[in-house]
Amino acid sequence: MTNEGPSVPLAHPTGPLAGYRVLDFADEKGQFCARLLGELGADVIKVEPPREGDPTRQNGPFFRGEQGLETSLYWWTMNAGKRSITCQLKLEQGRDLVRRLVEKSDIVIETNPPGEAAKLGLDYETLSQANPGIIVVSITNFGQTGPYKDWKATDIVGSAMGGHMYLNGDPERGPVRTTAPQAYMQVNVQAAVGAMVALYARGVNGGVGQHVDVSMQEAMANAMDNAQATWDILHINLSGPGLRRNNRAAFGARYLYETVDGWVACLQAGGLIGPQSGPIIDWLAEEGEANGLDSPEWREKLGGLEPLSPEDQAYVEETMAKFCAKRKKLELVAEAQRRGAGWAPVLSPREIVENEQLAAREYWVRVHHEDLGESFIYPGAPVKMSETPWKQRGRAPRLGEHNEQVYRDLLGLDDAELRRLRMRMVI
Amino acid sequence: MGEELKLPFEGLRVADLAWVGVGPTVSKYLADHGAEVIRVESSTYPEALRRVGPFVNDEPGIDNSGYYANFNSSKLGMSVNLKHPRGPELVKRLIARCDVVTESFTPGTMARFGLDYETLREVRPDLIMISMPLYGQTGPWASYSGYGHVLQAAAGFNHLTGWPDGPPIGTGIAYTDFLVPHIAATALIAALDYRRRTGKGQYIDFGQFEAAVHGLWTAILDWTANGHEQIRLGNRDPEAAPHGCYRCQDGRYIVIACFTEKEWEGFRAALGRPEWCDLERMRRKWSRLNEQKEIDRHIQAWLDDHTYDPARPKPVDPEGPEIPEDWQFTTEEVVAHFQSFGVPCGIVQSPEAMHKDPQLAHRGHYWKLQHPVMGLRTYDGPAFRLSRTPGRLSKAAPCLGEDNEYVYRELIGLDEEEFIELLADGAFE
Repeated sequence: MTNEGPSVPLAHPTGPLAGYRVLDFADEKGQFCARLLGELGADVIKVEPPREGDPTRQNGPFFRGEQGLETSLYWWTMNAGKRSITCQLKLEQGRDLVRRLVEKSDIVIETNPPGEAAKLGLDYETLSQANPGIIVVSITNFGQTGPYKDWKATDIVGSAMGGHMYLNGDPERGPVRTTAPQAYMQVNVQAAVGAMVALYARGVNGGVGQHVDVSMQEAMANAMDNAQATWDILHINLSGPGLRRNNRAAFGARYLYETVDGWVACLQAGGLIGPQSGPIIDWLAEEGEANGLDSPEWREKLGGLEPLSPEDQAYVEETMAKFCAKRKKLELVAEAQRRGAGWAPVLSPREIVENEQLAAREYWVRVHHEDLGESFIYPGAPVKMSETPWKQRGRAPRLGEHNEQVYRDLLGLDDAELRRLRMRMVI
Repeated sequence: MGEELKLPFEGLRVADLAWVGVGPTVSKYLADHGAEVIRVESSTYPEALRRVGPFVNDEPGIDNSGYYANFNSSKLGMSVNLKHPRGPELVKRLIARCDVVTESFTPGTMARFGLDYETLREVRPDLIMISMPLYGQTGPWASYSGYGHVLQAAAGFNHLTGWPDGPPIGTGIAYTDFLVPHIAATALIAALDYRRRTGKGQYIDFGQFEAAVHGLWTAILDWTANGHEQIRLGNRDPEAAPHGCYRCQDGRYIVIACFTEKEWEGFRAALGRPEWCDLERMRRKWSRLNEQKEIDRHIQAWLDDHTYDPARPKPVDPEGPEIPEDWQFTTEEVVAHFQSFGVPCGIVQSPEAMHKDPQLAHRGHYWKLQHPVMGLRTYDGPAFRLSRTPGRLSKAAPCLGEDNEYVYRELIGLDEEEFIELLADGAFE
């Protein structure tokens, strides 16, 4: 060990939230939320139980498949650029440390089940006594109150009870969950908005904080496209359309087509259906693959507002499927875009990392892991701000990496006190 | 606290030139929390969502779309024809009275109308402007068009949705439209807070693609650090067993997930401790993960036997096991049963079920708002409740140009003569 301080987080004095401090007690429902605030400039301190650390350090996948406290790629992703301290909240001395930290903080993010936060001294009532300006963001499965408040949930339960999973899936195989957990993702980003609204409210109301009660179910309910309104207005339940697109009671035209090297996404059978169909019909005709769709009768039918008969629709889709099957996806997309149709390729994680647009935008960030002697590519700025840029702030912290820094420099504890806290397993 | 608190964004004015899902969702947050948000639209090139249903009585109409309405609560409506010789100047005069401008045109469009950030900050130095097209302001794809339904494909959500032996079906909706606005809103409000403290505005170049990639959870790092490409797993999860979606006798689906040994213990008890759970290969999660197919089969068989459809007579299977009365469940009851044993479980709720959900009703998630054309309609509220300054949906979505008189006369400052002249000349179309 040298006397040098930890190498993370990288300083970010020009972020819009520079000067604010966030205490992160969250699980999967709030760690990305806290990270986002850190990348906008806030000092984010992840508070973990001593010894075994935060339970999410056990979330896979692991670097080189080796499970360990510091190898979770989940942990790397969600906690990059934070500081880590250990603190045993089950001990009064631990809760006392938290109270003192809260006095010096602006936002607390916690994800305990309703009622449990109070046992750990993390409820709004307790924390607001320490600091009336504190904003406590409580993220739960279903909200702090109500008939389902005590229900257990993971991502798939949030997706199911939040209505999105009903829309996601296939008429034959039933509902499906997106494998990358989106109920967790949704509640993280919507909680971040809630935290920001409360922070702004504090600024215009003389520094008064408040409690922000966030529900994963509600966050997912906000991701139902027009299905909520479709039930409200027409009493029709939209449901998982497979390769197609939901279109009222029926499934609309197929929007996914296989190519030589993967799939493309293109609404309205690639644009063959609808008022803008002309240029796409021309394209197929120029290649000699219009399959008769370039006749005046077809053109009128395809460009009209009347829905196609099922037979006609199948014929159109088949024509497009044959056309795509012979070509490469990026070439198809470039030509379709040139002709004004909004196609996109279906990209895998590898293809996204290799994508030319993201490269041109200098999206990716290399994050140094000095303990491994390697650096890895992380996703970059989700937003480019001219005056207060976003910034990736380095790797995720090791367990308790910033204990000295935080307890000594921020709270002013001396060596003897730190030693005592360690001996008593408070930190 | 007895004192009256201001709504967070009271006194802020927003010119919202964005459209479809992303931009309007961002400005809806501001509107539902007190800002005066003015949708700047045109009948010559109507907002795409106004042309897509659901329509009340199934009658397409510019002021009749529930799709548009849901993302535009609490806002005012203004119409202007930007191609009218005076259109851009009128919008610029409005922006001089605004704190925030939002837009999602193809890059370069605002500049063509003389409404780019550099020009606008001359009339409003502390302006915050956010541009939100699919792929950002620069790069080879900057001019690419599309919607959330195809952006989800580029951003990896299709690749990660569906069954391992099937196509990359995507999420069934224009998914990124419902993910990225929250990230944009977080950045925008952070910029507003910075402006509140420093007086400085700024320009925000928001590329939806770049925000969406953050939604892939661990998939990027798994590739860049491990060289492993994640793929869609149906309803499985690499770290939970059981983890799946199962059919009940009434045709509805439920989900069950056990990540911890404690949840597995609860699950065993909820099934009545069947023998198969005691098999050696079922005892530990790491080995259970290899037995997902068999576990799924057992769960489905158990649900076939133990659930019934209250609308139909209970099926009698002389070959099957005899199930005691109190171990026969409706779909709601079977979920409550698993929950009572601490097992994460829930119904795959349809839109109809969401409207009748007692938890969402308790939370007041859905707001009923009266609209002059559409009548009393349901709107989604925010997923968070602020204890002191809660959001409120103050009014239904605006009809096209509903507030023209207020905007043109009071904010832009046209006198009556000029207003009528421009109206007659089509400037407000």
